[in-house]
Amino acid sequence: MNQELKKKINSSFPSAKISLPKEKRVVIEVNRDAVISVLSFLKNMGYEHLSMISCVDWIKEDEFELIYFLNAYMKNDEEYGEIEKSTILLKTRISRKKAKYITAIGIFASAEPYERELHELFGIYFEGHPRLTPLLLERVYEIPPFRKDFDTRKYVKEFFEEIPFVEDREEGKE
Amino acid sequence: MDRNQLTKWLKSPSNMGHKYSLDVVYFCTGCGIIEIPPSITARWDAERFGVKPVATPRQANLFLITGYVSVKTLKAIIRTYEQMQEPKFAVGFGSCPINGGMYWDSYNTVNHLDKYIPIDGWIAGCMPRPEAIFVAVTHLWTLIDKEIADGYKRYRDKYKYYRANQEKVLGELEWPPLFPEDDKK
Repeated sequence: MNQELKKKINSSFPSAKISLPKEKRVVIEVNRDAVISVLSFLKNMGYEHLSMISCVDWIKEDEFELIYFLNAYMKNDEEYGEIEKSTILLKTRISRKKAKYITAIGIFASAEPYERELHELFGIYFEGHPRLTPLLLERVYEIPPFRKDFDTRKYVKEFFEEIPFVEDREEGKE
Repeated sequence: MDRNQLTKWLKSPSNMGHKYSLDVVYFCTGCGIIEIPPSITARWDAERFGVKPVATPRQANLFLITGYVSVKTLKAIIRTYEQMQEPKFAVGFGSCPINGGMYWDSYNTVNHLDKYIPIDGWIAGCMPRPEAIFVAVTHLWTLIDKEIADGYKRYRDKYKYYRANQEKVLGELEWPPLFPEDDKK
């Protein structure tokens, strides 16, 4: 069944690499320039729900991999018609040093919190996003904490372990 | 009533009252809260010990922190603790509030909760069984009897140091000090 979907996408986007790792799962790898057009193409096909945007830090290759998860939901099974019930994973790679990308809010409004989260935890700047303000964290970190080069043990030692116990403060050991 | 405790009741009725009416604010920070529903419902029935959940921190005098404490949660914990009426007792539930537990090397987990608010007792384990809550409650009774459960007094006396620690983690705090320096003069 997914073979037809593969053909359909390949006819419009010949450069996209499509693999079918298992049942009800389609993985599409595209260039960073093609993501927005592929997203709108898939939305027109019926995959109207963007359930998540995830990120993988490939530190050795100096790249971030962005992953868009798309699903199709219908009220009745008959309405699916030609659309498959599979989950689509749209993958793309962006440079790690210039972590800048285009927002997908224009197509999927639900992308807003996910992009804010990625901005906070990975330090990726999304152009055209209306408010990239802090979402989850209370503190400001030098390196965004989900990047691979953020040393959590060093951070814990230098920050949390350095805070003195109240008894020590009283004795003036600060 | 237990006749052996009659002298205790006559000696310090308020302490005995506090002992047997521990109203708890269960603070669900992490996985620990999963042990609370069985312990307050029919199977273990916490009300045998006078322990019962209440709606707001302003009615409570026992604060049970169940699970790991992140920086954002710490803010809520401090605000909740400061809203409670005295006498108040705080108990850390599980190994995470003690020293971070299995999340000790996270970028966002507070390792020692007693650096920021005074804790009267710890329940160690990952997870402690509901029975452990009742062991802790009976231990807390003896502490109240001997008047060692004085976390709220420590908080008042050493508020300066607690506040300094809180500000170190959370930056500038949005609320004014609970015990301003000028009051003591």
